[in-house]
Amino acid sequence: MQIAKSWRQQPSNLRLEGTRCTRCDRLEFPAVIRCSACGCTEFEICQLSGKGEVVVATTVFEAARDFGEHVPYSAAIVKLAEGIHLAAMITDVEPRDVYVGMKVEMVTRRIAAQGDKGPILYAYKFAPLLMP
Amino acid sequence: MTTGIEIIGVGLTKSAEKWEMGLLDIAIRAAGKALEDAQSESPDAVVVANAFGGALGDQQNLALHLASGLGCCPVETYCVACDDASGGAAVRLACALISSGMHQTVLVVGAEKTSDALPDMLETVRASGLDAGREASFGFSPTIAGALGMQQYLNVYGLDKALFFHIAKVAHEHGATNRNAIFRWPLDEAQYLKSPIVATPLSVCDTAPPCDGAAAVILRKSKNGSGHIRILGGANVSRKRGIVHPITELTLPAATESAAMALKEAGCDVADMSLLELHDSNAFLAALSIEAVGLAKPGEALHRAADGDFSKDGKAPLWTFGGHKSRGLAPGASGLYQVVEAVLNLRGDAQRNQVPSATKALVQCLGSFGAQAVTHILG
Ligand SMILES: [Zn+2]
Repeated sequence: MQIAKSWRQQPSNLRLEGTRCTRCDRLEFPAVIRCSACGCTEFEICQLSGKGEVVVATTVFEAARDFGEHVPYSAAIVKLAEGIHLAAMITDVEPRDVYVGMKVEMVTRRIAAQGDKGPILYAYKFAPLLMP
Repeated sequence: MTTGIEIIGVGLTKSAEKWEMGLLDIAIRAAGKALEDAQSESPDAVVVANAFGGALGDQQNLALHLASGLGCCPVETYCVACDDASGGAAVRLACALISSGMHQTVLVVGAEKTSDALPDMLETVRASGLDAGREASFGFSPTIAGALGMQQYLNVYGLDKALFFHIAKVAHEHGATNRNAIFRWPLDEAQYLKSPIVATPLSVCDTAPPCDGAAAVILRKSKNGSGHIRILGGANVSRKRGIVHPITELTLPAATESAAMALKEAGCDVADMSLLELHDSNAFLAALSIEAVGLAKPGEALHRAADGDFSKDGKAPLWTFGGHKSRGLAPGASGLYQVVEAVLNLRGDAQRNQVPSATKALVQCLGSFGAQAVTHILG
């Protein structure tokens, strides 16, 4: 993850910003530059609520490079209130205590670091909803 | 479009960790075997399927380097990189080159060298076939996606994890007699249940072992009465990307559509197939593939496997040389291994892996967690 890439993805990674198509109203996350439904190129920035629920989860014991520091960790598909599905890590809870239908909310956490000297990526994870 | 093309030569290398050979070497070895098998002159075009050579810091533009190494220059060359679907896509491209009249004889080689990379690095590179920004960079890989899919499959259909044993069992049963397979032993349930967990509920035994390997075919326009195995139909379908759809919906629309289109072109039904080679890079995709091509109803793939439907003497013999699970997964070459193994069976040259009186085969490989599917019907 190069620094420019990390910077470019800040709106989606740190603020869950997506786009809503001004022609067909389609909501997409992350932001797009051309609507995949109608081809329109004009959008309104749309910040997602960050609240949703766990659809399915796994506890990961063998991770890809740069993610080993989290093992074992919970990885899940989360369905946001807006209907968008995201692949994300679940945090602030023991992996075995994550369950289907669990209410979660977006938090900003350390996702990965490229070795000892590389940039650190901060982005969204999901934690149990504190105040429903 | 693919009709009227025949396979005049095949070759493959043993799937293994080949410390002594590089990517180009294994590609040359498989290509050389196919050229000898075909006893043909130099091809007019070379298409190479290789998914990760560049990402793993190995040879790029492998097709040119292969043609040079084979001494078949000047020649037209192409590289195809479509994740695990590279092999099928390369065959499809070769068919297009012949059908269009551009070329007479095309050499197609799939090759991959995975053993030079450490396992976590390989997993990172394999993950780059998924959505790089939203999936791979958040730690998701095909294996983790397979674990999520498996859990959802068990949740939705109310099944016990132990039922997935039957997927691995079929592959190992067939791989045990394949001298080119990396895992040559039958798998029993106790071994399966003891297998270490990679990501719950998926264990090592639910994933295909990455390995080094290459496989090659030589294609040309069919000649009347030549007796060679033909490509009767083919289709390459890409759908909306992302791991979410297969996991939440438990379907692979690209696999379903690609199989249906290829079968339609061949003028046959899935029930007419003497054998099938489907994409079993992990047990979840294997189960969905079985359902996608119509060998089982949704949620019933594991039961049909337990019934013995997919054994060599079953209704629909599957993974006749062990599939990716037992023969080994050389990602960019996997689609070519499937074609070569099917051809050996259709020729009656499969020895201990022979399906009796095999006449037609369906081979299908998947890329980017099933968002892309390439199917060919051979006969
Ligand atoms: Zn639109």
